[in-house]
Amino acid sequence: MAYLAIFLWGWLFGAFLLGFGMGWIAVVYRGKPVPKVWIQRLSVLAVVIVGVAVARVVPGRFGYWLDLGLALFGFYLVGCSIGSWLRDWVVSRHVRAG
Amino acid sequence: MHGLFRWSSKWWPGLIPFAILWVLAAWVSTVPLEAELAANSGTALKSTVLDKTQISVAGRDVSFAALAFSEEGRRSAVASVEAAPGVRLVNDGTRLVAEAKPFVWVAERDNVRVTLWGTAPLPASKARIVEAARAALNGTEVVDRMGLARGAPARFDAATLLLLDQVAKLKDGKIIVQDTAISLAGMARELGGREAIAAALKNLPEGFSVAANDVKAPPYVFQANKDPVAVTLTLSGYVPDNNVHAALVATAGRKFANEKIVDNLKASIGAPSGFSAAVTSALGALSRLSTGTLIVSDREVKLSGDALYEAAAGQIRAGLAKELPTGWTTKPEVSVKPAASPVDSTVCRQLFAQNLAKGRIRFETNSASINADSAGLLDRLIEIAMRCPTTAVEIVGHTDGDGDAGFNQILSEKRAQAVQDYLVKAGLPADRFSTTGYGSSQPIAGNETDEGKLQNRRIEFLVRQ
Repeated sequence: MAYLAIFLWGWLFGAFLLGFGMGWIAVVYRGKPVPKVWIQRLSVLAVVIVGVAVARVVPGRFGYWLDLGLALFGFYLVGCSIGSWLRDWVVSRHVRAG
Repeated sequence: MHGLFRWSSKWWPGLIPFAILWVLAAWVSTVPLEAELAANSGTALKSTVLDKTQISVAGRDVSFAALAFSEEGRRSAVASVEAAPGVRLVNDGTRLVAEAKPFVWVAERDNVRVTLWGTAPLPASKARIVEAARAALNGTEVVDRMGLARGAPARFDAATLLLLDQVAKLKDGKIIVQDTAISLAGMARELGGREAIAAALKNLPEGFSVAANDVKAPPYVFQANKDPVAVTLTLSGYVPDNNVHAALVATAGRKFANEKIVDNLKASIGAPSGFSAAVTSALGALSRLSTGTLIVSDREVKLSGDALYEAAAGQIRAGLAKELPTGWTTKPEVSVKPAASPVDSTVCRQLFAQNLAKGRIRFETNSASINADSAGLLDRLIEIAMRCPTTAVEIVGHTDGDGDAGFNQILSEKRAQAVQDYLVKAGLPADRFSTTGYGSSQPIAGNETDEGKLQNRRIEFLVRQ
């Protein structure tokens, strides 16, 4: 794992930045949210995909691309979380100051 | 936490650039990653002994095929690749190297090269064998056609390395190792090589044995070449030891009084029995030729050249066959030298004097029997006598001063008579020759020294007409 993280650090950092940006926007974004049911379904799908990856069922390059996707997605989610939390903290401090 | 859940429902627009990033990452990183994993797998296998290793990588999965030399080695190789950094799965295509039964290894030498056949137990021992062969056979081409197989006997490497040293001692031949049985055939490069190989085989590693040793010794060759132009007798080849060497050179000196002896002989073991007697006889025959070559190879004597006259040719052919020890064969190819032009009595006298000054007719001690060493000189005297057919020749015998004067007188007469008989036997008319003996009454040197006595014991040819 550590080897992959070092090999792919640029891409993972990119996914993190992308997530950070999206998380930053999401706090003040007035677009349509994903319905709760869909989030649950997608979460289940994500768990299944992680299971497939852990079980090493998908062979060869497709297996690698799946691992790559999941790793990038993980960093994206972490970026989103930090971005949103940081934006929320900044916004709420601004409101309190106002 | 509730806020995070709420915000996450609005993170989906980022998935579109995320997907693009994913595709890009997959596109860019796959091939370099595969190359790096292949290198990592190769590094992990560095200390493992394998043959025909093949590594291919798809994504993070390594397909690994190789031939291993033990089950333990095979498992350890697979585990090493599995443990290589970044590798996800190993598709194990490893197999054990086939077992050879019987385990055969062959070193074959011909005039040009040494070929190594059969099987070696490990790549390292294969490389070691080839390297040892190149070192042992300095300069000779070594062709490696060895395969690899399991099932080698213990201490195989040590045995083959010892055998390669023996290949170096062969001119041509083959050494076969079949399990622990060793067979050798061929011809040793040098005299004594066969014995050296047999001695070295006593040091074979424990467990190995010699099933057959058919290495032959090279022919034991002795050569003598009589060159009438350079007036030399060149001796080359082998003699059994320094004593025989000295004796043969001394014999050659007596038989070839006119020629300078060029001695290129080397001492070596392996002479056939009766060598000394056979070579002495053959040198006697060669001394009677005007030009000729003698080749003694093992127990075969080849003599070729020109005799000085017809009767001599017949005597040489028949005599050599008779004189050789039992078990020896001879191939005399003796022709007769064209007759030399006739000369007058003055030249004839000079020629007799010249020949008798360089060489002496030898007799057995206190006897009138002509020593065989004088055959060559007598042939030359006969040839001279044939060149001046109208001259009458008086053969005069002298002795040294030792012993009773009466005995010496009779001995000198008998010796002169013996020489005349020899000439008549060679085909010269008896009425051309007369004989006289002077005993010790006409010395040409003092009788006090051996050298003086030697000069006094003589036969003279006096041309009367």
